[in-house]
Amino acid sequence: MELALQAALILFIVIAVLLVIGVPISISVGFGSVIALISIIGFNEGLILSAQRMFTGMNSFTLLAIPFFVLAGVIMNNGGMALRLINLAKVISGRMPGSLAHTNVVANMLFGSISGSAVASAAAVGQTMGPLQEKEGYKREFSAAVNIGSAPAGMIIPPSNTLIVYSLASGGTSIAALFIAGYLPGILWGLACMAVIFFMARRKQMPRSERVTLKQAGIILAKAIPSLLLIVIVIGGIVGGVFTATEGSAIAVIYSLLLSLSMRTIQFKHMPDILLTATRTTVIVLFLIGVSMVMSWVMAFTNIPALLASSLFGFTDNIIIILLIMNLVLLLIGTFLDPTPAILIFTPIFWPIAQSYGIDPIHFGIMIVFNLSIGTITPPMGPVLFIGSRVAGLKLEQVIKPLMPFFIVTVLVLLLVTFVPQITLIVPELLGLFN
Amino acid sequence: EESSVGQVDIPETDATIIRVSFNQPESNPQFIALEEMGKRFNERTDGAYEIVIYPSELLGAQRESIEMVQVGAIDMAVIVGSLMENFVDEFAVFNLPYVFYSKEHQMDVLQNQDIVADLYSSVEDGGMKVLGAFHGGVRNVYNTSGPIETPADLNGMKIRIIDSDTNIQMMQRMGGAGTPMGQGEVYTAIQSGVLDGGENNELIYSNLSHAEIAPYYSYTRHLMVPDYIIGSTNLINSMSDEHQAIFMEEIQLAIDHQVDLFDSEVEQAIDTAVAAGARFNEVDIDAFQEAVSPVIENMLKTPESQKLYEDVQSAALPYR
Amino acid sequence: MTTIRTLLNKLLSTFCIILFAFLVLLVTWQVASRYFFNAPSSFSEELAKYCFVWLALFGSAFVFGEKGHMAIEFLKEKFSKATQYRLNLFSELVTLLFALIVMLIGGIQLVLMTWSQTSASLGVSIGFLYSAVPLSGLFIVLYSLANMYTLSKEKRT
Ligand code: NA
Ligand code: NA
Repeated sequence: MELALQAALILFIVIAVLLVIGVPISISVGFGSVIALISIIGFNEGLILSAQRMFTGMNSFTLLAIPFFVLAGVIMNNGGMALRLINLAKVISGRMPGSLAHTNVVANMLFGSISGSAVASAAAVGQTMGPLQEKEGYKREFSAAVNIGSAPAGMIIPPSNTLIVYSLASGGTSIAALFIAGYLPGILWGLACMAVIFFMARRKQMPRSERVTLKQAGIILAKAIPSLLLIVIVIGGIVGGVFTATEGSAIAVIYSLLLSLSMRTIQFKHMPDILLTATRTTVIVLFLIGVSMVMSWVMAFTNIPALLASSLFGFTDNIIIILLIMNLVLLLIGTFLDPTPAILIFTPIFWPIAQSYGIDPIHFGIMIVFNLSIGTITPPMGPVLFIGSRVAGLKLEQVIKPLMPFFIVTVLVLLLVTFVPQITLIVPELLGLFN
Repeated sequence: EESSVGQVDIPETDATIIRVSFNQPESNPQFIALEEMGKRFNERTDGAYEIVIYPSELLGAQRESIEMVQVGAIDMAVIVGSLMENFVDEFAVFNLPYVFYSKEHQMDVLQNQDIVADLYSSVEDGGMKVLGAFHGGVRNVYNTSGPIETPADLNGMKIRIIDSDTNIQMMQRMGGAGTPMGQGEVYTAIQSGVLDGGENNELIYSNLSHAEIAPYYSYTRHLMVPDYIIGSTNLINSMSDEHQAIFMEEIQLAIDHQVDLFDSEVEQAIDTAVAAGARFNEVDIDAFQEAVSPVIENMLKTPESQKLYEDVQSAALPYR
Repeated sequence: MTTIRTLLNKLLSTFCIILFAFLVLLVTWQVASRYFFNAPSSFSEELAKYCFVWLALFGSAFVFGEKGHMAIEFLKEKFSKATQYRLNLFSELVTLLFALIVMLIGGIQLVLMTWSQTSASLGVSIGFLYSAVPLSGLFIVLYSLANMYTLSKEKRT
């Protein structure tokens, strides 16, 4: 245990100090891990092994799905997809009081089911929905809060790069099963936001949208169908076992490319820029994965999870309390750290502990991703929080108060997801992806 | 059941810890044999050494573990034979289809210093040493649709194989289409019809519950790939002569122990598989053997390989 | 310094775009070969994996040039301008040290050690495949130097 304690102290102190003073997250994690590694296996050995772990950590066919899903998302976002999805969301949310706010939530869920990026969703949907809602008399702070509060649902609804990262960090949990397990919790997230809107709309007598005729609805649906077909083909194919997640992601690229080219929303000459945009997003995640593998190795070698288990959870054998503490820690960490690095750091620590209590890896993965997705909107910082207030033209402080009810309901759904495993496992079980 | 978290118990001790990277779970006979060897080695060296085995690829996959041993970051690893080909070509001879007649023949060759001494020491430049070899089971084809008896029965079937050119050629000669795929995806791929089956020993076939989806297990006996125990030269050189001798002795005992354990494990695996619906059938091996013979000729390019292959064949006489 | 940066940007972005486009075609071809031609390929999956790591490493270097990697900024912003300048410089220094010591020096030793090991399905040296680590490390070192130079110039004006 001495070795574990020494390694753990070096690891966490160096990483925390570097993070706080604004060193890039990947470099902070890498630097802390290498110093810990050198202290246990020696200088040259530590350097060579670090270089090897970085490289082999990224050298996985599964991870290839990430650049492809990102690329498909960038292609789709370039092609006026947001507007089509918003129109469809309008039809779905109908004539409830506060219907435009509901539309925003549904649009974020639809957007999330095609692209994996909550930030892109909050930007694209917020940009279009904000002015519309303002025209109908919604308060800008409220619309921004709705947009911010519901955008992360798309990180849990598949395809989800965060779930792919968890699959890797947990030692190869089935991506097909994780994807399909994400639907119900992701939809619950959206429904919880809609419930908040529902209560507020009745109290504040928010406007309803005008009636959409059946013919109009038909046209709107027809326009949205090509985008939605992507979900059916790609997720259907992955879950149905027709192809692997990586192959599905490549098909998503080809499909979205052909679709956008045929609709002339992008041209071939735009491709270099699109590829470079997708490269940027991808490599940030991948470099982090690489350096995190150095850290995971240090943790496995010295068995840090056991040390933490005994010090953090030593006072209890009660899995309910253990899961509560884990959620608390993750909510706290997620406030400051993005989901990807947080998953990479905490899965190797928490997963062995949860596993020893018989928790299912799919259930645990959805819980951890759900939790850390909340972090993207928890004040004082978070990418979705930032982008959502920026597109609304508001200061961060102005959206915090109206955001609170949404924050509270998502935490309540998190508790449901944590303690009712059936919410996560029932759909994969029905489809035979889980036994 | 142990309640300790994390998969490895690292002892608090003044002993030199020998760290071993292992790719299979703790229930594997190789793990059991190595663990008991660790206990005996600890006793016989009066607690000078303690062996800690990291199972289930905790420290990394096998190819990466070789490099960790070379660097000296860890001390030992168990490595499948096909990976050793990447260092020295001649290791390929022991991975050829039908090169061994039986487990006994294989273990006889792998422990015969007249045959293997040069081969085992050939990787010493790379900072590692082959300490011995475990029996890695006999690989047979299994599929979803019916018993395989001749190469024609495999026609048009996509069979999951381990990624290597030799394996692709071999499966093609055997009649099927070899499809390399990560083991984690194989179950769903067979279930959905992307694959028609796989090829593996009874232990893994049963452990991965492939009997549920591909119940026809046919004894093609096409491969018998050894698993090598490698150690870093640092580890061996740092031991006193006395400890080194005990160590090598204990490695031999561990190998014998593993070979003994293997048969009863296979019997258990067969029982489990049968309960899950598996049907085992014998095969016209001569037909398969003939079919794959061009692959063998292709692989025996150097005089060293040919010599090694001939040595293996002459050692086979008592087992035919 | 500016010309070095422009040159590096051009070089790395072009490399990443070509590699990414190739990767899309390669994996699509692999899916097609498996489903339509019943001719699975072991070569393409290995090649795709290695191209992908190269893309990730060289792309990362490129993004270090743009200072695009995620960082926690909000605490830093609470400090005075002078302290922020020092912290930014320190951050570049840590990045440089990591790239130099781990990726470049550690990477070169790794390449040398694995040069004679061959990849089964690609038939090339594993050391060659690993060489993306020291190479991208070198690019990150150059970018960090350029970033430090830019920082100090901004300070002076
Ligand atoms: Na999504
Ligand atoms: Na946050």
